[in-house]
Amino acid sequence: MMASIARSSLLRQVALVPKLPIATRLASQQSAIVNAARVATFHTTARRDLLPPLPQRVEGTVNDAAPVPETSPSHGSYHWTFDRLVAASLIPLTVAPFAAGSLNPTLDALLCATILIHSHTGFQNIIIDYVPKYRTPRARKLFVWGLNAATVVVGLALYEFETTDVGVTETIKRIWTA
Amino acid sequence: MAALRSSASVLLGAAASRPALRAAAAAPAAVRGMAQLADGAQHSTTASGEQPKLKTFQVYRWNPDTPTEKPRMQSYTLDLNKTGPMVLDALIRIKNELDPTLTFRRSCREGICGSCAMNINGTNTLACLCRIPTESSADIKIYPLPHTYVVKDLVPDLTHFYKQYKSIKPYLQRDTPSPDGKEYRQSKADRKKLDGLYECILCACCSTSCPSYWWNSEEYLGPAILLQSYRWLADSRDEKTAERRDALNNSMSLYRCHTILNCTRTCPKGLNPGLAIAQIKKEMAF
Amino acid sequence: MIAQRAGTTALRRVAGKPNSFFTANVAKLGLAQPLSTTQTRPVATQKITAADAQALLAKQRLNRPVSPHLAIYDKQQTWFGGSAWQRITGSALSGGLYVFATAYLVAPLAGWHLESASLAAAFGALPLAAKGALKFLAAWPFAYHAVNGVRHLAFDLGYGFKRQTIVKTGWYIWGVSVVGGLYLAFFL
Repeated sequence: MMASIARSSLLRQVALVPKLPIATRLASQQSAIVNAARVATFHTTARRDLLPPLPQRVEGTVNDAAPVPETSPSHGSYHWTFDRLVAASLIPLTVAPFAAGSLNPTLDALLCATILIHSHTGFQNIIIDYVPKYRTPRARKLFVWGLNAATVVVGLALYEFETTDVGVTETIKRIWTA
Repeated sequence: MAALRSSASVLLGAAASRPALRAAAAAPAAVRGMAQLADGAQHSTTASGEQPKLKTFQVYRWNPDTPTEKPRMQSYTLDLNKTGPMVLDALIRIKNELDPTLTFRRSCREGICGSCAMNINGTNTLACLCRIPTESSADIKIYPLPHTYVVKDLVPDLTHFYKQYKSIKPYLQRDTPSPDGKEYRQSKADRKKLDGLYECILCACCSTSCPSYWWNSEEYLGPAILLQSYRWLADSRDEKTAERRDALNNSMSLYRCHTILNCTRTCPKGLNPGLAIAQIKKEMAF
Repeated sequence: MIAQRAGTTALRRVAGKPNSFFTANVAKLGLAQPLSTTQTRPVATQKITAADAQALLAKQRLNRPVSPHLAIYDKQQTWFGGSAWQRITGSALSGGLYVFATAYLVAPLAGWHLESASLAAAFGALPLAAKGALKFLAAWPFAYHAVNGVRHLAFDLGYGFKRQTIVKTGWYIWGVSVVGGLYLAFFL
């Protein structure tokens, strides 16, 4: 059935070729050239991938459901809600120094801490997105612990800065108006 | 029809050596040939009489029979005067008249089956619902759904997508029998909550438009499946809402959604997967 | 078309019926053989077990290419997407903070001077254009991240999901952040 349909349309196509308007034929020749260029760009973009997709493997048959991960609200809903609360609390903390001119040391420290947590969860999200656990479990672990270490270091540094220097908002203000 | 055509040609071939039969048996075939010629002649006259509206379609091609060959773009030029208004019409015409090897899925041609989902000019849509843009003479570029494994040409493998759909248990789950023993009733207000959710045809346009799904399709469910998930979470008759939420409550299944919202912008049925996901997150948050 | 079909069915019926006159003539004309309606196929098929079929499919899957994505998807949505730039600007700001804080911690050991007073003095010594450029380089990501962050919080509360709203606010964010960045850099 299929085969015979294909055959007859092929014949029809052959029969039509000389009758095609010249413009069409020219266009198809031109497009062949354009095509070659397109193919080239196409392939160079594919080669840029850092973590190229793996060859396709499917666990089980089409009728088996994909596995459902274990419930863990601390990585799920609690984490998400905490993230949003931190982000939302940053709004008044960022508006305040603009409105009041500067922040008192307590609020300044609070702003620093909130920004640190916000940065940490943000970087965490990036790691979860781009360093997949099922594919590169060791790199994932390395990145997660690297981030944890970095956050501790930055926390220490900010504590140091807050206690010995003039505070973050005041510093930015001084640099800005320098 | 195809069977007849081939038997006619067999008939013709055999008849060539039998002069007695040639006149009788060859007649219908010859008439057919004439009709085709006339058809062709007509085409060329209309093409010269009316201004032909030529449009070039660049189509992604890859053939599994020659797996070492890289995917390439192939151009086909059609006269839009003789083509239907939709991209699917053009594809079918290309397949019928220019290149029978072009492979794509299609079925209903009216946006209800979801078979012809593909990437047309940069956005995912159903070819049968996408008009061929006539205002510009720019080429139309047609790719399979982005970041999917390609079976052939424009046909993506959606096996994993369907397996994920199955994993959310897309059916009514209930332990208590209905009070009247006949059917599970629902108030009009409750039924209204399912509007904008039940219409999803699972064409996978939204899921394959989502960068998060591109990078993490292995574990992230993607907009389409999450919309379906919400369809059952929002159903007043379903009694496993808590279990359904627990199944989503981990770092990957739901929370890889970063409200990029390509899903809502691409949905060919005008649904809002982004909003559905936001509702799930909101309901699970507090 | 239909006449043709009727013709062949008639002939077929004739060939099948033991009619003495017709069959005799048909046989003489050599019609019996070419009247066969079975098709010839250029492709042969063979039966294989389900397991073999699965193995064959698994082998074919390994060859499949991944269809293009970032390179071909609507540029406005991929390259100007609010969410992507939220991440980029956030990473730049937080990355800057992390680098500066770490440097501040090791500064006494390395002998650098990163106290606020020396930083302000060093910055003040720069030419005006460089000052403005550096300020804008810090102010624009901040403005973008702040304004788009509010938009994202609105999304999380379920607002602003209409298709037109998404597209429009996506562009507004760019305008507002550039204006805001310029204001912060040059008028503050």
